[in-house]
Amino acid sequence: MKINALKLRLKDALVPLILILIAFLFSAIWISFMGKSPLEAYRALFAGAFGSTSGVVNTVKKSVPIAFASFAVIVSTKANVFNIGAEGQLAMGAFGATMAGIFLKGLPAAVHIPAAILAAALGGMAFALVPALLRVKRGINLLVVLLLMNNIARFLLQFFVLDAFASDNALVPSTDRIMESARLPYLIGPPYRLTIAVLIVLAVAIVLELFFRRSTAGYEMRAVGLSPEAARYAGIDINKYMLLGLLLSGALAGVGGGLEILGNHHRLYIDFSPGYGYDGIPIALLSGGSPLISILGSLLFGALRTGSLNMQAKVGISDEIISVIQGSLILCIAANYFVKYLLNRRRSGKAGKEAGQ
Amino acid sequence: MVYAVEMRGITKRFPAVLANDHIDIAIKAGTVHAIIGENGAGKSTLMNILYGLHKPDEGEILINGQKQAFGSATDAIDCGIGMVHQHFMLVPRLTVADNVVLGKEPRKGLLYDRKAAIAKVAEVCSRHNIQVDPAKKVADISLGMQQRVEIVKTLYRGAEIIILDEPTAVLTPQEIDDLGEILRQLKEGGKTIIIITHKLEEVMDFSDDISVLRGGKHIATLRKAETDIPELTRLMVGRDVQLGGRKESAPGKEEALRLTDIVYAAAGRQILKSISLVLHKGEVLGLAGIDGSGQTQLAEIVAGVLTPSGGSVVYHSRDITGKTVAQRKKEGIGFIAQDRQKHGLVMDFSIAENLVLGFQRRPEYCQYKIAVNSKAVISDAQKRIREYDIRTPGEQVRVSMLSGGNQQKVVVAREMGSRPQLIVADQPTRGVDVGAIEAIHNILINHRNKGGSVLLVSLELDELMMLSDRIAVFFDGRLMGILDSATATREQIGMMMVGSSLEGKEGPAS
Repeated sequence: MKINALKLRLKDALVPLILILIAFLFSAIWISFMGKSPLEAYRALFAGAFGSTSGVVNTVKKSVPIAFASFAVIVSTKANVFNIGAEGQLAMGAFGATMAGIFLKGLPAAVHIPAAILAAALGGMAFALVPALLRVKRGINLLVVLLLMNNIARFLLQFFVLDAFASDNALVPSTDRIMESARLPYLIGPPYRLTIAVLIVLAVAIVLELFFRRSTAGYEMRAVGLSPEAARYAGIDINKYMLLGLLLSGALAGVGGGLEILGNHHRLYIDFSPGYGYDGIPIALLSGGSPLISILGSLLFGALRTGSLNMQAKVGISDEIISVIQGSLILCIAANYFVKYLLNRRRSGKAGKEAGQ
Repeated sequence: MVYAVEMRGITKRFPAVLANDHIDIAIKAGTVHAIIGENGAGKSTLMNILYGLHKPDEGEILINGQKQAFGSATDAIDCGIGMVHQHFMLVPRLTVADNVVLGKEPRKGLLYDRKAAIAKVAEVCSRHNIQVDPAKKVADISLGMQQRVEIVKTLYRGAEIIILDEPTAVLTPQEIDDLGEILRQLKEGGKTIIIITHKLEEVMDFSDDISVLRGGKHIATLRKAETDIPELTRLMVGRDVQLGGRKESAPGKEEALRLTDIVYAAAGRQILKSISLVLHKGEVLGLAGIDGSGQTQLAEIVAGVLTPSGGSVVYHSRDITGKTVAQRKKEGIGFIAQDRQKHGLVMDFSIAENLVLGFQRRPEYCQYKIAVNSKAVISDAQKRIREYDIRTPGEQVRVSMLSGGNQQKVVVAREMGSRPQLIVADQPTRGVDVGAIEAIHNILINHRNKGGSVLLVSLELDELMMLSDRIAVFFDGRLMGILDSATATREQIGMMMVGSSLEGKEGPAS
């Protein structure tokens, strides 16, 4: 029985790897259509992401906001909500952190940094509050509202950066720089500039794991996510958890955006996020709801984003191919059940189905 | 002698279970053959193999003496085998005739020939003396009728061997009698019938031969005339089973629950029409009625998962009408919901996690107020698994891996383990095997004998009459009357279930 359970778990772990492999193979077809060698392209991609110290550091750096976006999606999914609005919340979190970074003056770094991160969390949370209230009070379809909120966030960001808080002395449209005291300290200094944001990712992942595995509220939230009806019959307030889940999710996405400003850019640009918030979605789905495992997925996506530059330079393939890989990955996830079915059929039986039922 | 079906050495393994272990069964042509066993005994697997849905790992199947290897259900159908599943597979918006011919429609040129379909279906029905109106929509006919449609469907496809999986699970007593008549007619017409069931009364009513499975093995095949219910039960369970209540004391006079003028409406329909009744301490009050008469809603209102449109719920002299489910649990109201998979359990949670569902905030399961005390949860789960005889390799097993009876034991163990004073049990033995039924009945009766109260909803009259002190009969959202179960007859209750009140009495008694 134990061995069987272990085998089943191994099979569960195998599925995401197979999906990623399929996505790469599928994208290879398109690369060869473009008259390039997929093997060469992927070698350049890999070399760009992991071939040098600065490549590795960049991969890790880029994985930070992606990891937070995936935490956000994981947390919301646990509460039976699908937070497709992480991108918007991430932008509002970045805005919150920027404001705290610019306008809170005379604070020591030990206070200023946590305050700015808190502002990021509040920014993301506030932006998730609108759809959450619409859902709980009016029963409006969350997916649509969340998706549209992403557009609102984009235009708000343009307004903030180009108008309300536009800097007078910047080459690219952006806000002013945040105060020194709000900038994240380096773990590895220039030229690599790896900040303590990495440690924050790990810490948050561990706290989230503990929350879901050990806390009573985490238990209740999982019950709501797995079976809202059973949770309601057990006397658990499902609306409370949907609200809580979405707000927490928004806060996490916001922190992801905030760390990006506090650690890397030190000022807010319109295009500071190339879509980190969307990257979180496939990762959350691939990681089976585990924040720690989602860090691995975030590293993969960080590597794609980092290595694609090298691929573009060496092989001449536009970095748009990254979107193709990600897109195929999402298609693969949608086809996940089919892959599981194929795996199970090879063992000639429906796994997990109770016999005799 | 040539058998209609011969299964030799059938073995089927699933990842965690050996579902069928070298089963040999031979079924004579033109007989009704029952395959009985507890949940998880392997009967459905065996029939799914016969119907081509599963491939056996070992063994062979002979139909009318010819060896067959079915790759799919289509092969089995071509070989003259039909199956009526427990959950019907009909399209509600289509007519009976449409449903019957679906997949094998008569055509006129390129078009579907509806007239021919109706004529053909009517012909099949009259040949086998089955009464169904081919022109009616499936959505408008009763479950009993739908089952007939399923049977006609197999006949239309030329089935000579018909498998029925738990055919009586959804039927009223009258419909069960009608089904018996249909099966008899089919048998006289030369068909071979196989029924899978765990209800022994029906086995004795319907069948000629009976095969018993237990734990994936074939235990025995008996002729009906040469056996009886106690022997079959013993073979099924592997030991003696004592069904039947042992009511010791008379119910007390103290009120546990008083419902006054409960009204419930949903989607513009009055589902409960001013229900008033009283449940005493040390009493089992049965709620009888055809499925959908409002009993379930009343139970859910008492449990707190439904809010009544009007009226009051008073529990131990306190008005709890506006209280939440969580508050009611704290006050000692346990609830065994009708649909365990949807409402009673989180199917992807482990047994241990499910055993605290709804009680996770109790101090004994918490640590530092916010964390789950896993040690306590696990040791408690191990204790309950032993105490309630939940058959599982361990407390960490996902509840979805358990058989129906064991899932229900998890629900019962959880709700009883919280030491409730009032248990609301909505069809607590639905779809569970006889061993689990015995266990659940004993638990409810013990609860009553210790002075607790039980509000019991059941569609099985025998169960209600055996367990209840009084029986409240519902029809169309109204309380038709309350009978003393010691003096009430099945006929009396049956009449009230279809709308005739007690003679000489007006309105609801209490």
